[in-house]
Formats: sequence, structure tokens, C-alpha cells
Amino acid sequence: MIHAIEFDDVTWRAGNDFSIEKLTLRVPQGSIYGFLGPNGAGKSTTIRLMMGMMKPEGGDIRMLGESVPRALPRVLQRVGYVPERPHLFSRLTVKEAIDVHASFHHRWDALWATELLERLDLRPDQQIRRMSKGQTGKLMMLLALAVRPHLLILDEPTDGLDPVIRRDVMTTVLDYVAETDATIFISSHLVHELERFCDWVGVIDRGALITEVPVQEFKRGIKRLRLLNARGIPANGTPFSLLDRIPANGIRSCEEWVVHGWEGPHRALLEEAGVTVQEVVDLDLEEGFVELLKSVRIQNSREDDR
Amino acid sequence: MFDGIDPRSPTPLYEQIASRVRVAVASGQVSAGEALPSVRSLAGELRVNPATVVQAYRELAADGFVEKRHGQGTFIRDLPVMKREEERRRRAIEIARSALAEGARLGLSGEELLDAVANEVRAHEGASTEVPS
Repeated sequence: MIHAIEFDDVTWRAGNDFSIEKLTLRVPQGSIYGFLGPNGAGKSTTIRLMMGMMKPEGGDIRMLGESVPRALPRVLQRVGYVPERPHLFSRLTVKEAIDVHASFHHRWDALWATELLERLDLRPDQQIRRMSKGQTGKLMMLLALAVRPHLLILDEPTDGLDPVIRRDVMTTVLDYVAETDATIFISSHLVHELERFCDWVGVIDRGALITEVPVQEFKRGIKRLRLLNARGIPANGTPFSLLDRIPANGIRSCEEWVVHGWEGPHRALLEEAGVTVQEVVDLDLEEGFVELLKSVRIQNSREDDR
Repeated sequence: MFDGIDPRSPTPLYEQIASRVRVAVASGQVSAGEALPSVRSLAGELRVNPATVVQAYRELAADGFVEKRHGQGTFIRDLPVMKREEERRRRAIEIARSALAEGARLGLSGEELLDAVANEVRAHEGASTEVPS
């Protein structure tokens, strides 16, 4: 598989409070990759490292097959980027902002930019400081798309936008993907939105990657089980991993397990051990994400206590 | 045809999309020779990954429901009556299974469900043949 973004053991530290430790990422070319993590997990830091705004203290970063930050100028010509906070001169008009950006990119497609203006319903003569958050968001997306990027990096692109604008913006991005096969790396905490179109998901917490899998695989493997007579069954030694266990309370012997790596045949395995599997409930991406994060944090705090 | 596609469902989106087309064919909602929306427009409309739509259409083509005409798009094939009947039977079985599963969760037996279905069918027929006074 060819990868649009590769991180190998990337390390970056900000004092004692926060660090990225040996981060390894593989973003397949042509994928729509959702980068999930709670606030402060290191999502934006990871993106700043990709964009060469910060230099890693250790490890290698390759973007579109080239080493970053060494080949940065060449790479950036083929990358569209929507930062978490817009960085536009507020005194410029939409048209002027477009002209400024066009002059920095030799891949700039002026015709496509004009088409996007119309499609996103932006007025060329409008001053940026008079624009709403939604309009600014649309302009940022226009500037990123008009370079006809091979890789589009979006940092919380729809955060704080109303649903109608969010829809317009994402439809435009997906339309571009259908036409070009570009890779999209999108960081967000709006998990439900990502679930619609991401085919890969990476989860980060406290500067470390927790998992990186195709979305379907992630969803298939995480289940909530309702079990009878499971009290004596030990948590280790199962072929799946137990993320959470809500034990039976009082006389009811019904336990709830949240498991990762679940497969159909595991049911028979549990029943052989005398457990009755009452129900296997599918979790959506958000529930799965929350459960996974919870269990990793509990595990880490246990290790810290040792 | 594609209303209510649910990204949170455990059924993969491409399967949901393919299934909507099969139902539309089985119920006569679309007929042979009709074009499906282009990958690009359907992905935009549903806000899903274009690759998901491609996969759904590929699946439908493999089953013989649609055909891809080069440079023109994807079209509903002329399904023999038998295949349509087969799809209708498959749907009926699916509905029955999910009703049984739901019933089992509530502790209802197959008998009880059958009775209920028979009653509903009778009531429904009664209602539709009733002559307004």
C-alpha cells in the first residue's frame, strides 16, 4: 500500500506537560482518514508537524513520499490545508485573499476557484472581517481546494459551523475526492460526521496513537455483550480484549461487557464456559471511540500506579 | 430511494446503498434501463465517501442488478421476472427474521407472532374492501 502520510517514531516535546512520543502513522493514499482524539490529545500538534511548522525532535515524517521538513516547499505545493483557526488578513476582501494565495501556488486553478466561489455562495467584494464564521470557513476550504491538492489536511474544518454550511463544505470536499482520488486527512471530534465518509480512523490520546484501522473493522470488532453466569470468568485469557466490565449487581446475575476484537465464533466459546450470551449489541463509531479511550486511560493509570 | 441511510448502523454503508437499489427494483419503483445517479452526485448528496458508492455499484453489478456502460454510467438491468420474485422472497424472509428476533427479545413465541400477523392482514383487508357508506 502507498501512503500519503507516514510518521515513524516521531517525538516532540513541549516542556513537561505535553509530548508526542514515538508516534507512528500510516495514512493510505486515496483514503479519507479520520483523526480522532479528545481535546488536547495532540491532534493539532501532529498536523503542525506534518505541515512543517514544527520540527520533530526524533523520528521521520514523509508526506506524499517526500521527507518533511526537508522537502517542504515541494510538498506544500501539493497540499491543501485548513487550519483550526483561520489565518487571513481581515482587511482583505475575498477576491484579494484569493489573489494572495494564488500568487504562492503554482498549481492554483483560477477557473476552479471562480467556480467554487459561486458554489459556496461567497461574494468576491466582501471584506473578510465582516464575514460570519461560516463564510470564513467556506473561504478557507476554497483556498485549500483551489490548489488542486493531492492531499487535503483539515483541522477541525467544520467545528462551530452550522449544519447547512457544514453540509455544503463537506459535499464540496467529497465531490473533489470523487473527481481526483485525493487523500483527505481530517481531524475532528465530531465523530458522527466522520462516520459518514471516513474509511480509515486513527485514534490519539495524550500524544500516543491508540489504534489505526479501517472504520468498518473498528466498528465490526467492538460490541457490548449482555451475559448471564459470567461472574467467575476471568478477564484475561479471552481471545478478545475486554474494555469494560460492569459486574452483576445484587441478585441479578447479568453482566455487561464491552469487548474489542469480537468475532462471531467467540459466542460459542463463552457458552462452552457456561455463560449465556443474552445479547450482542453493535456500537457506533462514537460509542466505540469513547469505550476504547476509557479503557486505555484506566490501563495507563494502573501502569502509572505500579 | 436513498432516504434514511444510517452511518451509525453496523451494516456497512455500501451494503445499505446496494440494498436500497435492490428494494427499488423488487418493488418496481425503478425499471430496466433507468440510470442510477453518478458516483459523484450520489456521494455528494448522501455525504458519503465516493469509494462507498463505487463499492455499492460494483456489488450490484456482480449480482446482475445493474450494468456499467462505459462512459455513460450505471443502469438498471432488465431483470427476469424470476430474479425479481427471488428478491421479493428474500426481503420477506428478512422481515420475518427481524420480527422473530425482536419477538424473542420480548419473549414472544413464533405462534403469537403468526397470530398477530394473520390478524393484521385480516384487519387490513377488511379496511381496504370496506365500502364507504
